[in-house]
Amino acid sequence: MNSLLLRNVKLTQPQVASMLQYQCRVDASTASSSSSSTSSVVQNNPVVLDNRKPAPQLDADRMRMHPRIGNREIVGYGLKGKPEYFDLVMFPCPSIRWEADTPAIAELRKKEKGDWKQLSVEDKKRLYRSSFRQTFEEFTAPTGIWKWAIGWTLLSIAGATLAYDGWRRICYRFDGPDSMKDAKLKKQLEYHIAARQGPMTGLASKWDYETGTWKK
Amino acid sequence: MALLFRSSLIQSLTKTTRPMWMAMTSTTRRNMSSHNKETDEEFDERWKAYFERPSIDGWDIRQGINHMNRLDLIPEPEIISACLQACRRVNDHSLAVRYLETIRYKSNAISKQVWPWILQEIRPTLDKIGVATPEDLGYDKPELALKSVDDM
Repeated sequence: MNSLLLRNVKLTQPQVASMLQYQCRVDASTASSSSSSTSSVVQNNPVVLDNRKPAPQLDADRMRMHPRIGNREIVGYGLKGKPEYFDLVMFPCPSIRWEADTPAIAELRKKEKGDWKQLSVEDKKRLYRSSFRQTFEEFTAPTGIWKWAIGWTLLSIAGATLAYDGWRRICYRFDGPDSMKDAKLKKQLEYHIAARQGPMTGLASKWDYETGTWKK
Repeated sequence: MALLFRSSLIQSLTKTTRPMWMAMTSTTRRNMSSHNKETDEEFDERWKAYFERPSIDGWDIRQGINHMNRLDLIPEPEIISACLQACRRVNDHSLAVRYLETIRYKSNAISKQVWPWILQEIRPTLDKIGVATPEDLGYDKPELALKSVDDM
């Protein structure tokens, strides 16, 4: 890839993307990594990915790395052949390591080439965490989201019921029937008293029939 | 139907003594379809040869692990040993631990007795190579809790 060409020509995004893809496939193949020295994978200034900073200028060195994953080593096929990291129970081995290659990790990898019984438990854990993000137990641990789901379901049912009831009270507000007006209700009360409704303990028992008023 | 009964009877006669619950695990292949008339031994040999290739590299080991994990079975201890030896050849200890974790997860989904048995069967290989089991590293319980992306 001619870096001189890149510096003088302004390429569109799809053109850049396809050129990068080609270059990255060339680099990720075992032919190129076996021919180039170890310094092509391990860098003394590892690239720290930060989405908030502007993208760095493209140059020949950066073209050698995959732009989205920094200098993390591509180790396998993964899910769909893309160099993306994932933690899945179905596919235990992702296509890239989790952490970028630093000189500290390069030391551990050199130690890993020897006898594994010499590695301490801390070394082994460090190696695991540099290759993988979470252990199986961690990403299969129960999350407790079901409580959240049931709670919100009940709350939304209650809210919908209240809204429906409120809407009915506002929109379907009719005038009452004629018989609930004061004059008619008074007439109805007179009829009830005249018919002696509730004579023992109810309504008529409170009316004094001699004086024609309520009992004191 | 009769063919299935006969073949499983012969398999149970020729298999080495194993606990009874092992008959429940799906290490046997029932041929429900007419293609792929491979016996268990051929299947085991094929996978063992795959991992015992001396020039195998990390890419192929990961392909093999991912593929075998998709199949509806737990591999035989011989296949597990062959895979661990392959990891040793490519000098990748964390891959071996990851592989043991998948076996553990899959076997715990069936019964709590499977994983100790598998560990017991591959113990010679583990001791020879020096691979740590997930229990040694403390990874049989969650160690780190990571923030969900929804909470950031």
